[in-house]
Amino acid sequence: MVELREQDHKTLQALSQLDGKGTIEKIVKASSLAHAAVMRAALKLSNEKLVQLQERTRTIVTLNEEGRTYAEKGLPERRLIRSLFNLGGTAKIKEVANNAKLKKSLEPIALGWLRRKNWAILSGKEKILRASEEPKEGTDEKVIGLLAKKNTIVTQELDNEMRKALKVLRRRKLVNIKDENIRTMELTVAGRKLIKRGIKIVEEVSQLTPELIITGKWRDTKLRKFNVSAEGPQTYPGKIHPLQQIIERTREIFLQMGFTEIRGPLVETAFWNFDALFQPQDHPAREMQDTFYLSNPKAGRLPKNTIVDVVARAHEDGWTTGSKGWGYKWSHSEAKRLLLRTHTTAETIKYLSKHKKVPIKVFSVDKVYRNEQLTYKNTAEFYQIEGIVVDKGVTFRDLMGTLKAFYSRFGLEKVQFWPCYFPYTEPSAQAMVYVPKLKHWMELCGMGIFRPEVLAPMGIKYPVLAWGGGLERIAMLELGLKDIRQLYDNRLGWIRSTPLCQ
Amino acid sequence: MDQEYASMPVITLHEERFSKFVGRKVTLTEMTKWIPWLGFDIEEEGEDYLKVEFNPNRIDFCSYVGVTRAFKGLRGWETGLPDYKAKDSNITLKITEAVAEVRPIMLAAVVRNMELDEGDVADLMEMQEDLHWGIGRDRKKASIGVHNLDVVRPPFTFTAVSPNSVKFVPLDKNEEMSLQEILQKHEKGVAYKHLIDQSPNYPVLIDRNEHVLSMPPIINGELTKIKEKTTNLFLDVTGTDYEAVEKSLNVLCTSLADMGGEIEKVRVEYPDQSRFSPDLSPEKMDLKTTFANSSLGLHLSTVEIIECLERSRLGARRTKKGVIEVAIPAYRIDILHEIDLVEEVAIGYGYYKLKPTFPSSVTIGEQHPTLKIANLTRQIAIGLGFTEMMNFTLTNESIQYEKMRRKEEKDIKLANPVSAEYTIMRQDLLPGLIKNLAANRHESFPQKLFEVSDVVKLNDKNETLCERRLHIAAVSSHPKANFTEIKSIAEALIANIMVGEWKIKETEHPSFLKGRVASIRTKNREIGIVGEIHPEVLNNFGLENPTVAFEINLETLIG
Repeated sequence: MVELREQDHKTLQALSQLDGKGTIEKIVKASSLAHAAVMRAALKLSNEKLVQLQERTRTIVTLNEEGRTYAEKGLPERRLIRSLFNLGGTAKIKEVANNAKLKKSLEPIALGWLRRKNWAILSGKEKILRASEEPKEGTDEKVIGLLAKKNTIVTQELDNEMRKALKVLRRRKLVNIKDENIRTMELTVAGRKLIKRGIKIVEEVSQLTPELIITGKWRDTKLRKFNVSAEGPQTYPGKIHPLQQIIERTREIFLQMGFTEIRGPLVETAFWNFDALFQPQDHPAREMQDTFYLSNPKAGRLPKNTIVDVVARAHEDGWTTGSKGWGYKWSHSEAKRLLLRTHTTAETIKYLSKHKKVPIKVFSVDKVYRNEQLTYKNTAEFYQIEGIVVDKGVTFRDLMGTLKAFYSRFGLEKVQFWPCYFPYTEPSAQAMVYVPKLKHWMELCGMGIFRPEVLAPMGIKYPVLAWGGGLERIAMLELGLKDIRQLYDNRLGWIRSTPLCQ
Repeated sequence: MDQEYASMPVITLHEERFSKFVGRKVTLTEMTKWIPWLGFDIEEEGEDYLKVEFNPNRIDFCSYVGVTRAFKGLRGWETGLPDYKAKDSNITLKITEAVAEVRPIMLAAVVRNMELDEGDVADLMEMQEDLHWGIGRDRKKASIGVHNLDVVRPPFTFTAVSPNSVKFVPLDKNEEMSLQEILQKHEKGVAYKHLIDQSPNYPVLIDRNEHVLSMPPIINGELTKIKEKTTNLFLDVTGTDYEAVEKSLNVLCTSLADMGGEIEKVRVEYPDQSRFSPDLSPEKMDLKTTFANSSLGLHLSTVEIIECLERSRLGARRTKKGVIEVAIPAYRIDILHEIDLVEEVAIGYGYYKLKPTFPSSVTIGEQHPTLKIANLTRQIAIGLGFTEMMNFTLTNESIQYEKMRRKEEKDIKLANPVSAEYTIMRQDLLPGLIKNLAANRHESFPQKLFEVSDVVKLNDKNETLCERRLHIAAVSSHPKANFTEIKSIAEALIANIMVGEWKIKETEHPSFLKGRVASIRTKNREIGIVGEIHPEVLNNFGLENPTVAFEINLETLIG
């Protein structure tokens, strides 16, 4: 059984009102459907062989402006011949023209047609027009009259003679002509049978409305079936940045592991960024080619407590730590220099100088800076992951285990620890991780236990396990990027098309 | 924690030469396998060589012998303290009073019976470069001269003379130049003149016949140039830092000794004292076994710890219960504290054998309150249909002010920007978002973007005279964007973050259209701005759609 939609039923009904045949326009009127709906129904019904579709072309003729003037006043040659008879049937052409009040420009046209239609004879030097009887209305004039009366006529409805006359009018540029396709629908035998059986129209809608729901009318309503596989318009949701998404995942892992988040300033004094971490003042990392210093403001203030003095001592001679120190004269002004922090460890050590109750587990995933040109593998600012565990009796192996547990949450299970060097940790290591996606080992982060020369000035009594590394390399791995700049160029196309669950 | 810096020293190790110094065949595969456990990073793997990076604390890794010494220890093929003997050469070096103000320190050594091949000469050059950088801080604290001893006659004198009084042929040149000319014209003179040119007199090292060996720390003379087949060497190290000078000389001497040379001492006579140099005797430091074990999380016996230390090429013996006396070879510059010996134990034990354990510290984690707010704000912005952008906090004056039609303010400027793109810290998020719209002109509209991130403002109250502040900014750009739309979005956002009242008050702002911009205020304090972006700003960024925006200081919202 064919399933017909509301529009199909209504179209059939209209056709039956029109005695089984009608143009689309007529059906639109009879059915109160939209033109497009009738067209859709026409297609469907003809596919089901319930109607036959015919298409033919009509040529529609209308008068143009000149034509309308002639319809009113008569063709120029008619006006000329009328004047000739007013003047008695014989007259000089000039007089006739004057009498007819023809525009100068029309005179040759009028004269030309007068002669072509054989309505009068022109003779002699004096150019005398002569006619014996007033000519009857020509077919061309009849057509103009008809057009004036009916506004439009259809060529196909005219007889041969009139069609010929129309051609002349067309040549004389008095009419507009336009082709029009006419679609007609006619019920087939099957269509008629179907109507005979009776059509019950169930109202069909495309949009369920509050009214339908409230009134319960939806029960008697048929919701139009949609072509569910048809393409609709693209929608883009508001969305978190893919890099922020990775930051959130990282923070979540820390939080799950019981770490508390810390956050510090982006502009730091060299004191907290370097000196408090036992980084000697002539260390290459402190040079301008590695670190961004500020020209405004240039120098900050040092903390007001004794920490500064003992940090200075630790650098100079090791203070009470049993260390030899770096053996140089520590400078206050060097320590006051303002810079963009090169690691979040600046905040870590500041935090540890104030918080003493163990166990302490803190972390940050935050912004740091290096004096680097923007390239596919370096940016001047980037995110650093840092984790710190302080407790009685924690060991280097505990650091390895903590770090392993942390990175396993990113699916990085195979980790190796190679010896490494940082000025403020001992023993130190770097974590190398096997990346299954890339099938090679990658440097992941640095790690170590804070040196006694760092701990003692801050009054920290227990081992501080620390690890830190770039977030971007993990983000690039997760997002399948080869160029770090892509994380920061904020291309909407990329952000809109990057799934968050990877 | 740190990431590595750009300037790490590098050494290229060829399999054959490496094997020669190890004293047995070592394949590239073995090198690749074991070398990282000494603390090297493999930079490049060639067909018969490895290019490796090492940390500057182990500057003694700057030669083949330095690396193979450690390699043999790690593999257990040769362990314990390498013994370096130095007998007296009867050569004297005199340091005059005159040089005290410009380059006060010099130590020296003699190395005899070397059989230098091409590789050795190259090694020697490489070592000097690494020491100049690693210990010498680009020749400031220490710089090295290596001379052919056989072409000059001791005793030697290190003195300072007036710039035009002495001429000599500098290394790799053909004609004599005065000291003055060298500083002005010679490439090394130009590069390093800042180390001596404040002084009226310049340092020179001369022999008995006043032949010039070198002009420290600038350049050696052509006279004493080292070639293949040079057998007897005179080493000098000058500088401003005694420790740096001594360590540089020690690293050099011990390496040359391991390359087959015999080290001899030089008597160095300062105006007020004299000493023999080099002093290659090991330094002593105690290590408590409990300290080593508790730091590493191991339970090693004293004997085992001694074994580990010996694999790290240290001398070690038990002096009393639980205490090991460790002898540190003269080439080690990095042992400052007992904790450094603990790492030596770990390296000798093998990092690869350390089994990770998990600490039992129980803690409850917590987000930082500011970032908690940041995330809640993000959620609301996303709920309002906005997509997050992440821009750099570094920007430049053109974007921050000029294109935004704003007057330049006193802000936070870099002393050493790496490019004109990044010269200041941003004061607002909005210019970045407008720039994002410009970069996404070809994408479909509407475009609704936001950023929740930091701006940095001047603030005298803080130690750093700066303040990091959390902001949110948002832009909406499409043909029908207008004030009403953005105001309702801004208010929806505020209402869902903050408890309390706020007001929208007419204001003026050069980046926004007059009459279509308002300040957002709480308790008479401005917390943000909302409005239609000025068409001139849109033109400046090449934008075609009307664009509306707001920016709010989140820290004032949350109090």
